Amino acid sequence: MMVKRFFGMRALLAVCLLTVLALTGCSLLGSDDGSSGTGHGTSGGAHPSASADADLPYDVVPLLKPAKKYFGAAVAGAPTSMKSVDAYAEMVGKRPNLIEYYAGWGDGFDASGVRRAWAEGALTLMSWEPFDTPIADIAAGKSDAYIKKYATAVRKLNLPVVIDFADEFNGHWEKWGTQSTTPAQYVAAWRHIHKTFLDAGASNVIWAWAPNIVNPVPDVRLKPYYPGDAYVDWIGLVGYFTTGEDNAFDSVFGPTRKQIRTFTKKPMLLLETAAMPGERRRADVRNLFAGVEDDDDMIGFIWFNHRKRADWRLEASPLALEEFKRLAADDRFGFDVRKPA
Amino acid sequence: MNSRPEHYTPRPYDPYADDDNAAGGWFNSDGYVPRQQPGHDGQGVHGHQGHDVHQGYQGHDVPESYDYDPRVYPYQQLDDQPTFALSTVAEPEPESAEPGYHIPETPDAGWDDTPSRRRAWVSRGVLGILLIIQTLLSLRLSNTAFQDEALYLAAGHNILEHWSSGTPLHSGYESYFSGSPMLYPVAAAFVDGWFGLSGARALSLLCMLGATVLLYSFTRRLFNERVALVAAALFAVTQPTIVLGWFATYDAPAIFLLALSAWIIVRTNRAPVFAVLLAAPVMVLAVAVKYASALYVPTLIVLAALTAWHHRGWRCVPRALLLGVGTAALAGIGLMYTDVLAGVRQTTTNRAHGTDTASALLEKSAEWGGLMFATAVAGAVAYALRGRMNESPRSYGLNGPGWRWRALLGVTLAGTALLAPAYQIHLHTAVSLYKHLDFGLLFAAPMAGVGVIRLVGKHFRYPQLGIMIWVGALCLGVSQSEWRFGLWPDSSGLVQAIEPYMEPGGRYLGETYEVPVYYLRDKTKHSQWTSTYGIGYPDKKGVVHHGNEGYRLALEDGYFDLVVLDGVATPGLDAYIERQVTKSGHYRLIGKIPFRLSSGGTGAYRVWVKTA
Repeated sequence: MMVKRFFGMRALLAVCLLTVLALTGCSLLGSDDGSSGTGHGTSGGAHPSASADADLPYDVVPLLKPAKKYFGAAVAGAPTSMKSVDAYAEMVGKRPNLIEYYAGWGDGFDASGVRRAWAEGALTLMSWEPFDTPIADIAAGKSDAYIKKYATAVRKLNLPVVIDFADEFNGHWEKWGTQSTTPAQYVAAWRHIHKTFLDAGASNVIWAWAPNIVNPVPDVRLKPYYPGDAYVDWIGLVGYFTTGEDNAFDSVFGPTRKQIRTFTKKPMLLLETAAMPGERRRADVRNLFAGVEDDDDMIGFIWFNHRKRADWRLEASPLALEEFKRLAADDRFGFDVRKPA
Repeated sequence: MNSRPEHYTPRPYDPYADDDNAAGGWFNSDGYVPRQQPGHDGQGVHGHQGHDVHQGYQGHDVPESYDYDPRVYPYQQLDDQPTFALSTVAEPEPESAEPGYHIPETPDAGWDDTPSRRRAWVSRGVLGILLIIQTLLSLRLSNTAFQDEALYLAAGHNILEHWSSGTPLHSGYESYFSGSPMLYPVAAAFVDGWFGLSGARALSLLCMLGATVLLYSFTRRLFNERVALVAAALFAVTQPTIVLGWFATYDAPAIFLLALSAWIIVRTNRAPVFAVLLAAPVMVLAVAVKYASALYVPTLIVLAALTAWHHRGWRCVPRALLLGVGTAALAGIGLMYTDVLAGVRQTTTNRAHGTDTASALLEKSAEWGGLMFATAVAGAVAYALRGRMNESPRSYGLNGPGWRWRALLGVTLAGTALLAPAYQIHLHTAVSLYKHLDFGLLFAAPMAGVGVIRLVGKHFRYPQLGIMIWVGALCLGVSQSEWRFGLWPDSSGLVQAIEPYMEPGGRYLGETYEVPVYYLRDKTKHSQWTSTYGIGYPDKKGVVHHGNEGYRLALEDGYFDLVVLDGVATPGLDAYIERQVTKSGHYRLIGKIPFRLSSGGTGAYRVWVKTA
């Protein structure tokens, strides 16, 4: 009898413990804390830290206001091919560290071009031009799939990229200019794109807001077009030394700079500049370098070395090129963007 | 006799038919195996034994067809036939009075239950293997420092620097640390200074291994080696033990000190009464290291009485009282010279009440310590019902403690495991529940050992039951500890990202800032950081703003040089802060550093730096 009772008790204990084991085991296999999510910590075994280091986003802040000036160039074919950049570098005696190229809204992201430029110590600036898509539509989210895809590609590259969206918006000559877009639509589109990029984690984009200089369009106020300091890193001015206008640096850029400084202190870049060929070009080049050097908030310039409406290429004027080469030799211009001081 | 059939019907003979018959066998006294007819009723077995059965053959000749050969079947001879040959052989004279061989006196048991050197070393060997398993399980875990680890270690470094070079001490540790800031944090920071976080965690590992060894030792003294080994084996593989063995917080040393107190109390049960006072300073130290240890002091005091009962009878009560008074006196002296009461109130007795429901807390407790507790309850019940602890007929348990004592010991030890869940249910908080469970499991472990040993049975009759429970505990412990160690984000990316922004005069807003303060302690100090738990921001007119308004104004003014949010501790406020960061325009996102938690959740550190 004792033996039987004892055996019965053991069976009972075993059953109880099995139940506890099963219950704890079940709760272990089930959701632990009710948090949503597909993966389960205990199953994968993959440690959360596995990808942390590799995934560290590139911090572009040291590039926002470097100690030295950007020495940039927009040359044909770059950065898809760096041959024209090499030729330009040989011509002016210094490697440009900021390469501008133009892309239409709907184009893919040229990650390999950015990587190629980066490998030669240059940052890439993409001027994103919405030729066929109304800015209001972009603001309304009609291009979200495209923006997301683009932002993901930029994040994946994880190298600094400068983007200026719909430059010269204050001009009536662009499709997205004052004729078709209100300031509110412009700001909404900018913020929307910016937010989509940040949501995708693409904090490696330097956002350059690029109005044309106000000289030809003095009635268009810039402030309503400004998306806000939280959405903009650089103010990129588009302005050229043209014959028929005064060529003092302050005459060309002064009014715009003055107006912009009333609402933001963000660093300024001459995002697109050049001087018309002619006798005065040499003096224009000198004024350009001096003007950029004198302004601590002016972080550099990009020479528009294209033949478009006029021949802006340096090689068109040997004397001006000589002067350009001499001034560009100044150590304050150009630095390796991979190691900003 | 009346059950016998009237007529016997010969049947083919089966020489093995009666092999298992309890009443006879092959080697009966006369070499004869009684045959037995199939009984017609229950009395057949008894009624047909011996000569009765033998008589059944009388009167019948051996059947002719039967292949009779006395050489093959000597036992088939009809009856005792005179063996004339034997009587004609002269018996040889014995050569000596003593036989040429010696039969040793047969012991009444094949083994001895008294301690022996061999047993001790075999048990220690098994314990050593258990410690290796425990070490490996703890060392498997890896993650960057948890918030609490970082806080204590950074505080310890701060205090050490204050002592060594007089740097200003960050005040206020006493007010919110759940143990004395001068004990564990300093010791851990000292080790951390030499060997890094792994070193500090290794200190915890040593404490937990020490606790396992002490658990083995006092369980062996309470019961025996078998129970002690099982108790240690179960304790070593539970989630809290594995985690705390690689977790630089107060808990591991506190558990070690409690185990040491228990060991002293059990070890000195036969020594003079005053010897129990040796446990008092250890208990006070345990409480000082972690205030919540006080919850287990009553268990130790009851244990002091119970363990001395056999040797002192009712005089065991003064022993317990002496221990209680001694502990209280030491604690009182400690309180006189330190200012820890505020911290005790803040972190332990008046801890902020949470919103966790009792059922959720019970579920968690069951999940993390339920198996061991259930085993302990089973052990307590089994032990109360039957005291004998081993197979030896000379076992102490035969005339061992009475059932009241056994029941009391079981209730004391197993019941202690309920203290932490009960207290946390009272507070409605699951914070640190898993850690506090381990304190109780330390005491419940001996009863769990008894439970498993009782299931396994005498002479290891059902080892599979014990193996099943241990393997179950092991599986739960391994998976739960790994899950536990993945519940906080890996901060290595964050630390790397913000390191360039650490300046001596910088001001930072950080949600889990203890972690960067610890990792970047050469570049930043605790005082440079503001948490998301509260702010007092004075505006230009000197008015101090708190809460959301305080954060808003500080961000609007660009007061902070860096803002780090992770969305884990204060997700609601994070959203508000993020809006203000954007609105202020002073800040730029330098990156979102994604992390994935073992709970299945994902998130990202978001780091903004002031650029204007």
